[in-house]
Amino acid sequence: MLLLTLNRSIIFALQSFWRNIWLSLATVFVIFLTLISINLLLVVNVISDSAIAAVKDRIDVSVYFKPEVRESKIAEVKSHLEGLPQVKSITYRSPEDNLEAFKVKHSGDVKIQETLKELSTNPMSATLIIKAKDLAGYPEILKAIDDPSFAELIEEKNYDDNQLVISRINTIADTVRRAAYFVIGIFAFISILIIFNTVRVAIFTHQNEIGIMKLVGASNWFIRSPFVLESVIAGIVAVFITIVFFYPLLSVLQPYVSGFFAGATFDLIGYFNNYFVYIFGTELIAITAVNIISSSVAIGKYLNV
Amino acid sequence: MIHLVDVSKKFPPATEALKSANIHIEPGEFVSIVGQSGSGKTTIVRLLIAELPPDNGQVVIGGWDITNIKKRNIPSLRRQIGVVFQDFKLLPKKTVFENVAFALQVAGATKNRIQTVVPQVLSIVDLQDKLIRYPHELSGGEKQRVAIARALIHRPKVLLADEPTGNLDALNTKDIIDLLLKINEFGTTVVMVTHNKEIVNSLKRRVITLDNGMVVQDQKVGKYVI
Repeated sequence: MLLLTLNRSIIFALQSFWRNIWLSLATVFVIFLTLISINLLLVVNVISDSAIAAVKDRIDVSVYFKPEVRESKIAEVKSHLEGLPQVKSITYRSPEDNLEAFKVKHSGDVKIQETLKELSTNPMSATLIIKAKDLAGYPEILKAIDDPSFAELIEEKNYDDNQLVISRINTIADTVRRAAYFVIGIFAFISILIIFNTVRVAIFTHQNEIGIMKLVGASNWFIRSPFVLESVIAGIVAVFITIVFFYPLLSVLQPYVSGFFAGATFDLIGYFNNYFVYIFGTELIAITAVNIISSSVAIGKYLNV
Repeated sequence: MIHLVDVSKKFPPATEALKSANIHIEPGEFVSIVGQSGSGKTTIVRLLIAELPPDNGQVVIGGWDITNIKKRNIPSLRRQIGVVFQDFKLLPKKTVFENVAFALQVAGATKNRIQTVVPQVLSIVDLQDKLIRYPHELSGGEKQRVAIARALIHRPKVLLADEPTGNLDALNTKDIIDLLLKINEFGTTVVMVTHNKEIVNSLKRRVITLDNGMVVQDQKVGKYVI
């Protein structure tokens, strides 16, 4: 009996979806627009996250040691800094490496090249390039470098410049993230209200039918289930159309985004492919839940016949 | 078959639709309930299908005391009573066949039973050729015949007809009345609410007259007197 009723509910839902095709399409269209908007917000969020991550990746602290400091002492400092939980990696660059890099960097400058040839010794010192796991970790690392036992070994450190950049990026990253969550939150709320209302309006047009079904002896469950299933079908169709429409849209956006952030990699399609189930699955579940709740509430108003 | 004992019903703020009404209808009767607008005719139908509860008194139909019927039992009651309305109350997006079949589907009838019974009942009301038509493709008389077929699908012992000819022309009115008489001949109790004087007078059957919520006349072979 339950299976028969469920089977009939599905058939009625599909029939009603098809026979009220314009109303169904209107509902699907509203849900589709909502999903597209949410996904575009997600794209903006991904781009800003990737941009911030790319800039963050370029941030490091370089510590230049005095020329007389021995390599074993530098290894000691390196080992100490590696013990800090904030440190992601430390690269040691010998004076020879630095000289070579300097030569390469200024290969076009004849004066510098000639000056270097006249020098009998290597003027470069050894360097440690320290990267933190997170931007917030740099202050702690810089504090460790300022330790008096290391201070006499260090000739220079570039943290002053980086500190300003680090603090600015941190502020921007936090602001962008907070703004994105806020906008997505507000938008999701408005979307829920719009979908809720759309489903209610769709069911309002069926209020006479609901009354007739009651008078013929249909139980509340028998009346309610096709309408609820119909709204779920609208949600599934809308998510499907969103997927079909969204990927070509991403292909169009991809070159512009890559061009705008030259140097950084933003693989939008790759991102959505990786999180396909998570993103569209969550959207499907959320839309289904909103549709079930809104259709149940809307029908309830007309069931007291 | 139907017993209304001292039934009263008020609607806010101060409309007394029924005042201690007593009506007793035996199985197999054809009864017309007549009266002017607001006399309480339709309230009786709404009480009998449990659309409204009475304020006082007792309502019994087919041996079932529905005075304080629970909400969950209302669908079951309605599957045992055939009801026909003035505005037909057909599902607009369902075909003739589907409208009639719906009454069986809500009761959990199998597909085979539906495929057998629905054409049979539709042939009784002479609509066997219009199974796949939608309500908007039918005339008023045809719509009412679909409604009657739907009402008959459970082979009810009682058929309630609330102004069944109110939206029909004279020719269709005659057809519908003839159909109701035929149904009554098969043993179904028919209760028809109407204010159509000519029909009531031509039937020469029992007439219960209501006025201002009270039963003012009950004649075995009655006439429309108000």
